[in-house]
Amino acid sequence: MSRLEAKKPSVCESKPLTRERLRTTLSVLKGIVASCYGPSGRLKQLHNGAGGHVCTTSQSSALLRGLSVTHPVLKILTTSMQNHVSCFSDCGLFMAILCCNLIEYVEGIDLAPTTVIELNKQLLSLCTSYLKSEACACRIPVDFSSTQILLCLVRSILTSKPACMLTGKEVDHISALVLRAFLLTIPEKAEDHIILGKSIIVPLKGQRVIDSTVLPGMLIETSEVQLMRTLPIKKSSALKVALFCVSLSGDFSDTGEGTLAVSYGVSLESAVLDQLLNLGRQLVWDHIDLVICQKVIHPSLKQFLSTHHVIAIDRVGVALMEPLSKMTGTQPIGSLGSISPSSYGSVKDLCSAKFGSKHFFHLIPNEVAVSSLLLCNRNDTAWDELKLTCQTALHVLQLTIKEPFVFLGGGCTETHLAAYVRHKTLNEPGSILKDVGYTQTELHLIAEAFCSALESLAGSLEHDGGEILTDMKYGHFWSVQSHSPPVANWPDLLSRCGCGLHSNQEELSWSFLRSTHHPFVPQNSLPHEAASSANNLTLDCFTAKLSGLQVAVETANLILDLAYVIEDKN
Amino acid sequence: MVMACRVINNRRHVGLQQLLSFAETGRTFLGPVKSSKFIIDEESHESVLISSPVRLLESLDLTSAVGQLLNEAVQAHNDTYGTGTNTLLFFVGAWSSAVEECLHLGVPIPVIVSVMSEGLNSCSEEVVSLQVPIHNLFDHVDNTNTFSGFETPSVNLCPFLQIPSDTGLIQKDHELKDVSQSMTIYSLSGRPVKSCKLFRLQAKVEANKDASQTLQTLINSRLADTSCRKSILTHSRHFNSTDNNHWVSKPDGLEQPSAATSKTYSCNDLVELAVGLSHGDHSSMKLVEAAVRLQYQNACMQQGSCSLPFMFDVSRIFTCCLPGLPETSTCVCPGYITLASISSTALIKELKDQPVRVVLVQGDLTENYRHLGFNKSTNIKTVLESMKVNQDSTEELWAHHVLQILTQFNVHLVLARGNVSDHLNEKCVYSKRLVIGSVNGSVMQAFAEATGAVQVAYITQVNEDCVGNGVYVTFWRSVSVDVVDKKNRMAILLKTEGINLVTAVFTGPVTAQMQTKEDRFWTCASRLYYALKEQKVFIGGGAVEFLCLSHLQIIEEQSLKKGNQAYSGWLHNSSSWLASSLALYRPTVLKCLANGWHKYLSTLMYNTASYSSEFEASTFIQHHLRNAIDSGSPSSYILSEYSELNSGVFNSGISNKLEQIPRVYDIVTPKIEAWRRALDLVLLVLQTDSEIVTGHGHMQINSKESEGFLFL
Repeated sequence: MSRLEAKKPSVCESKPLTRERLRTTLSVLKGIVASCYGPSGRLKQLHNGAGGHVCTTSQSSALLRGLSVTHPVLKILTTSMQNHVSCFSDCGLFMAILCCNLIEYVEGIDLAPTTVIELNKQLLSLCTSYLKSEACACRIPVDFSSTQILLCLVRSILTSKPACMLTGKEVDHISALVLRAFLLTIPEKAEDHIILGKSIIVPLKGQRVIDSTVLPGMLIETSEVQLMRTLPIKKSSALKVALFCVSLSGDFSDTGEGTLAVSYGVSLESAVLDQLLNLGRQLVWDHIDLVICQKVIHPSLKQFLSTHHVIAIDRVGVALMEPLSKMTGTQPIGSLGSISPSSYGSVKDLCSAKFGSKHFFHLIPNEVAVSSLLLCNRNDTAWDELKLTCQTALHVLQLTIKEPFVFLGGGCTETHLAAYVRHKTLNEPGSILKDVGYTQTELHLIAEAFCSALESLAGSLEHDGGEILTDMKYGHFWSVQSHSPPVANWPDLLSRCGCGLHSNQEELSWSFLRSTHHPFVPQNSLPHEAASSANNLTLDCFTAKLSGLQVAVETANLILDLAYVIEDKN
Repeated sequence: MVMACRVINNRRHVGLQQLLSFAETGRTFLGPVKSSKFIIDEESHESVLISSPVRLLESLDLTSAVGQLLNEAVQAHNDTYGTGTNTLLFFVGAWSSAVEECLHLGVPIPVIVSVMSEGLNSCSEEVVSLQVPIHNLFDHVDNTNTFSGFETPSVNLCPFLQIPSDTGLIQKDHELKDVSQSMTIYSLSGRPVKSCKLFRLQAKVEANKDASQTLQTLINSRLADTSCRKSILTHSRHFNSTDNNHWVSKPDGLEQPSAATSKTYSCNDLVELAVGLSHGDHSSMKLVEAAVRLQYQNACMQQGSCSLPFMFDVSRIFTCCLPGLPETSTCVCPGYITLASISSTALIKELKDQPVRVVLVQGDLTENYRHLGFNKSTNIKTVLESMKVNQDSTEELWAHHVLQILTQFNVHLVLARGNVSDHLNEKCVYSKRLVIGSVNGSVMQAFAEATGAVQVAYITQVNEDCVGNGVYVTFWRSVSVDVVDKKNRMAILLKTEGINLVTAVFTGPVTAQMQTKEDRFWTCASRLYYALKEQKVFIGGGAVEFLCLSHLQIIEEQSLKKGNQAYSGWLHNSSSWLASSLALYRPTVLKCLANGWHKYLSTLMYNTASYSSEFEASTFIQHHLRNAIDSGSPSSYILSEYSELNSGVFNSGISNKLEQIPRVYDIVTPKIEAWRRALDLVLLVLQTDSEIVTGHGHMQINSKESEGFLFL
């Protein structure tokens, strides 16, 4: 019996941005993301309130996994954040905070949304073309002949996530490992276009961080029993490999719907097992040394293979299949029927390894383009955070190889960019307004909001009541204790700018970031050689940050453009 | 779905307070005199007796996020190291309140995090000076062959252990003989002499008292460890005489403050090491020690000349609880002891005197068992085509088939990791074959190694290569009636020549204590395992903590003098204003961190009942702290004043018969990691400013305590 229920009418809300409800929830969301930002950011405990797993994090990707928002406008924001993070891993919080700031700062301005949106677009293109140009003073080209910049980049990412719980020494250790893991994924033979290999993070929870390590090739976890049974392996030449993605467990899961009638005395199981043993015979005939299966191998087949000195490794999981196939040059076999010899591949060697209490098979490829990062951390929640952070770092390194630049981090890029935009809109408004018909006043209003949004974003790095200063020469970010002595003492109080490029030794003048100051021409920093040789710079990923900026402005524009929210309440 | 978000550190940090209150519950577990706790379920009126943090947290309601994190940290530490959870739990509490104190004084959170973290690092590096290397422990085991002390009654092995709260673990003098007897009886080699090797070292100590001339010279030649040698008799680190100045009279190097301890002291004696690591729990430690010796003997017999370095393998120790038997039956035996149904008595009598062939089955031994990863199709139906009368069920057919295979390969013993079909069991008993289910994985592995059997998933896989040889099945005790438990099961012993497996049997009249006994045994086993594995131990009894305390005070005083210098590297983010204000807050934070150790020491002293109040204990510590710092080198101060400190910290004034101060040892990595984990947890909670409740949880929030939550 079906029951019909009258449909509820849809709810239509006009000018959603002016509603109190949205403003409150938007400010809660901004509060969450902004308080997470930077190396001294505060952590969030995500849990289901009923004794489930607790995740302690300050990363956008982990937060997003736990965030479930109801307001449609917030959904737009979190979806853009999600998309950005899935493409670039880094700068998710940056994007979200900037977007919230952009919306917040145009609130009081009495201009038509279209004007705001159009001018925001102009300012964005001003920014992107500057950031991509040679003249850009807040980016450094990456010198691949030394590890300096790359190490600084990885370090900056690791230190920006306090929930990893790393000490200084551990940060150094993990940065070096991440970089080495990445370098191992670059194929030795450079061709026209390089295809990067993969770096696999292998969990080893409960051990000390300092016990983490990197190995070329792959680690497959196994039981001691299986390891004992198969080793030692003695073979001088490479091992011939067959890789199965189909289950060899001997079940028949695809019997379809309905009932299958089998006459008495017929055993389907033994029929399948016979088929498996035939397959085994073929593998032996083809001189296979190593059989790897994504799923389970039937114990009888394993026994058969091992009596013929074929090593069988099963239950490797779907995550390892792609790198395994790449590394060994195999085609994953998906049927129990005859196997084409072309689907076989090879590995150079196979040995066993023990880390902590876990046993592993260690597959060493002929050409190393796969690395395993064995990651340890003391507790689960810190391990999860460290894993995500290392994944981000590996991804960022990949992005950096494509576009070999890094941005100055620690808030310097944001303040510098704001100074640049102020200067441009004041001194060359014509060049910005040439295609659009808006007045200079309108431009100044929106530019001020845009710059404030950027500066406030930089200010979000401070969580302990300090003040943010900017110097009047480079437009970099400086932090000072609140209620500090008068201006004359600043050079004594300040040591380095946010990114670490400039020190108080240079004769600079500072002003509070929040105060209205006279626009100045932000100068180009030190020559690039000096920059790339500097130690301990805080750096950000070029590609991710640039995209974050674009996504933030576009999402803000989209939200500002909303006139109605129509919700289907059924 | 609604997501709720609550700010948790308005003014007072809720998370830290929760940590503190959880940690407080474990306070009485610290130290050798542990007060057990009853945990009572108000609804079911069930109660459990617990005396370790792991069991405590298991029984508590930990649905809060912080409670979960604490439980996770304690479990992870226990899984990795098997010991040190008391330290972990205590420091979680101590440092939570230390951090709260810092917050109260207005220290910025990132400064607390970096100073505490690096302060602990600095301490971990400092305490290396109190490490004692362990050398050639097992050379001595061999060297003592000449002393056949088996006849010497080991009267004094556990003489003064009269801790009131510990009564369940007090050993009787004759217990030791009992152990050796049981070993002798079941020694397969039939040479009882072999087994007395186990106790030779103790015997030697006995002989030592008689000051036999040869023995004396032998000991003198190994001067470095003589002091420890006698101390075996005193065992407990908590009951020492006050008037002893043994360490002061130590030879060479002690008076030189800079002398590395490792040169002066080393630990070369297994008994001394075990006693030092027992931390008051001698009965458990003695079992562990016996287990080590059994493994060592076995390794020697297997390799002939012990050429490879011997490794103590905890995974090859198995425990078996037999509640109801008298306490004195507790022992360790080579081989595998397990429970079998009383109905197989006749069968065992029959199998008793001959080696049997064995098959090892990895899964269940039932008809419908399939290996992991095999998905059964539910929609297959067998139809009968003809009207053949089929009385035998499929299970009957299967059992018949299994029996056929067992007969074919002449197998009389089957060990299965999983369950065993009752029907098959009956059939097997009938045909004089013993089937044992639910066998531990490492036991299977040990049998596989010793007998040459290969583990199989199905009995149909069995071929000649899979079958193992030479297993002996007997009753655990000659009088089998003794060892029948409530479920009509009796203890049987399976062993084979050269099997690397030791079973520790726990007996006792009080069932509620069995868990605790087992836990304590494993704790001692883990301690000894790490000591042997790392080949080094700390001088224990609070010495390490005392050194941390004085070290922190020294760097605190230094940083007060030096002022704004050189410590900006301690903060990840060196450009922030926090880096420059680090010097300002550093002494305060270090002081708070040091308070954690101070609290640890005073609680330890208070718990061991040597002081009537924690305040009194605290005064004692302060006094020695000042002296240690004034001496210029706290580590040499600790070494030279060890006896006094030790007696001050742990003396309860009970015993004045003892002549020597025994060394107390602590294990290295598990201890340092426990500190690190505790601090990590506290700092993780400290840096958390809000909790985000996702999913269905908001329902409960709505009903209970919706105030303070923001909804998205």
